Amino acid sequence: MKAKRRVVTSAAGPAGARRQATAQRSRPSVVAPEPRARLEIRPSSTPRPPARPVVAAEDVDLTVDLGRGLVLRNPIMVASGTFGYGVEYGDVVDVDQLGAICCKGTTLRPRIGNPTPRVTETPSGMLNSIGLQNPGVNAVIDKYSATWAAWKVPVIVNVAAESAGDYVEVVRRLEGIPGIAGIELNISCPNVGKGGLQFAIDAGAAGEVTAAVRRATDLPLLVKLSPNVADIRPIARAIADAGADALTAINTLSGIALAPDRTRPLLGNIYGGLSGPAVKPVALRIVYEAAQAVKIPIVAIGGVTDLDDVLDFLAVGAVAVQVGTAIFADPMLPVRLVDGLADACARRGSTTYRDLIGTALPKRAAAPSSKGVEYRP
Amino acid sequence: MRLGAAELVESREILPGQWLQSYHAPDLASGARAGQFVHVRTGDFSGMVLRRPFSLNTADAATGILTIHFRVIGRGTQWFTRLRPGDEVDMLGPLGRPFEVDPRSRHLLLIAGGLGMAGVRMLADEAIRDGRQVTLLFGAASSREVYPSSLLPDEVEYIVATDDGSLGHHGYVTDLVREYEAWADQAFACGPVAMLAALAKGAEGRRERLGVAKLGRKRGGGKSDPVGSAAARRKAFLQVSMEQNMGCAVGACLGCVVMSTSGIPQRVCREGPVFAADELVWDGTWT
Repeated sequence: MKAKRRVVTSAAGPAGARRQATAQRSRPSVVAPEPRARLEIRPSSTPRPPARPVVAAEDVDLTVDLGRGLVLRNPIMVASGTFGYGVEYGDVVDVDQLGAICCKGTTLRPRIGNPTPRVTETPSGMLNSIGLQNPGVNAVIDKYSATWAAWKVPVIVNVAAESAGDYVEVVRRLEGIPGIAGIELNISCPNVGKGGLQFAIDAGAAGEVTAAVRRATDLPLLVKLSPNVADIRPIARAIADAGADALTAINTLSGIALAPDRTRPLLGNIYGGLSGPAVKPVALRIVYEAAQAVKIPIVAIGGVTDLDDVLDFLAVGAVAVQVGTAIFADPMLPVRLVDGLADACARRGSTTYRDLIGTALPKRAAAPSSKGVEYRP
Repeated sequence: MRLGAAELVESREILPGQWLQSYHAPDLASGARAGQFVHVRTGDFSGMVLRRPFSLNTADAATGILTIHFRVIGRGTQWFTRLRPGDEVDMLGPLGRPFEVDPRSRHLLLIAGGLGMAGVRMLADEAIRDGRQVTLLFGAASSREVYPSSLLPDEVEYIVATDDGSLGHHGYVTDLVREYEAWADQAFACGPVAMLAALAKGAEGRRERLGVAKLGRKRGGGKSDPVGSAAARRKAFLQVSMEQNMGCAVGACLGCVVMSTSGIPQRVCREGPVFAADELVWDGTWT
């Protein structure tokens, strides 16, 4: 795998150049079909295998450009909240093999989070209600940015806040700090200014907060969509129009679990966010819809546990995926997925994974469905 | 912290619904200390997405064998009981911070409630190896659930309390502590939160009750040690091993916290599972 600089100042940087170079390189390697006359002389019992260029896994170009120079060495990221600040797994996981790390949700002031229990397993998934426990943006910068700057892997700071002003303030403090490669906005937080309504469920509020952050920073900006909405498309469009570089989809689904004696909900916060394989069909649906609604790259997240899940999300239009809950059971999974994706491309005789993207989308971007109400509550 | 395969060597039901399993995992067993735990993956990831944490019950570096003790409480623990010798599981560990025994402590009081035995059992091995005297107070609902004395080292003084009086003292294990608190240099407990809270309350006033002077000179100018530090535990009379629903077990997800007196929730998997009792808040608002 070729080393790749991660911070590039312009979008038309080396990534664009590389993409062209790759396309040119792959063409001559295609084996030309043999003349038909010679084919007929062959014994009919041994059918000729389809001609495929021979590609080695390490020659597959997995780089992905999420905009504003945020170029990942591969499209496998680790999701916010499941990988801490990147240091927790120690030498069990080699972080430099990853495409990117999204760190734990970071707020302006320290937060102690929700009462316990905070996590519980559910069928094919888990509920969590950590409540954004974190030491605050200044402490995060002091404690981790020097470590991050020494890594090859870009670290994207997940930012949460309860007002547009707080989002802007957190992002301002992150701006220009070495080791911080981008911002992922968690907009599934109550908007205190609008009576506690989540930013993520209202296209107007989502667009406004994105625009405010966009004005405040030149860092690559990802915005994380909530699945707890009636129709994702207007929200995705509002965020894209407000200047986000990429979308992340999806955040957790809201749910509850009960205490064993059924006298109360189990989690200290009552409500928790559902993640894991259980949410994958929902995530696929939302990526599928958002990919047809916007032109900016989409990073898919939701129940990725193996290579097939990665290929599924690419097929519905995602350019990269985040692995979350599965890390708890299998910390080595993200690194294995990187190798698995390269192998899968090489076996197909392709030097890039980009021809896997969007294969399941309608040939022509469909007009917004008027049948949404039929399958959504 | 290591991640690797552990081969099941022996599995048996030592009490109704309670199992003792031995695994061959030399890498994990060699560095492990009493109070630490392992995080084990079930074979059915698509259904059960989380690993299961188990206290280390014993760990023998020479043979590479470690044992875990658990009660069947759900699908995950059920899955483990169906393993057969020779089967391999994916084990992450040893995790968390261990019990810290003050080098000057001669008499150790271990207090276990029910499955809490799994949390303190290994400390008995370590203490006896180091030539200390160990008294183990054990509480259970009835004689059916009393941990077999045959599974403990001979050197341990083993005293049992049952809620229904079917064996040993009739009442709670916490009733027995008063008799031993003057004898003990340090105490180590694991069990239900209510039991630990009662013990923590009792330990608070111990020095005043007994009129004992603090041993040794005051080090560090009397400044308090940071929460979760080995020094804070080593100086404490009572250390407790905490339990909490757990996600990653390495400190990444912040799922398994308990509230500390510093006002900042502490991770059971990283700063714990062993804490000095006076580092934690016991008012029940967080559990």
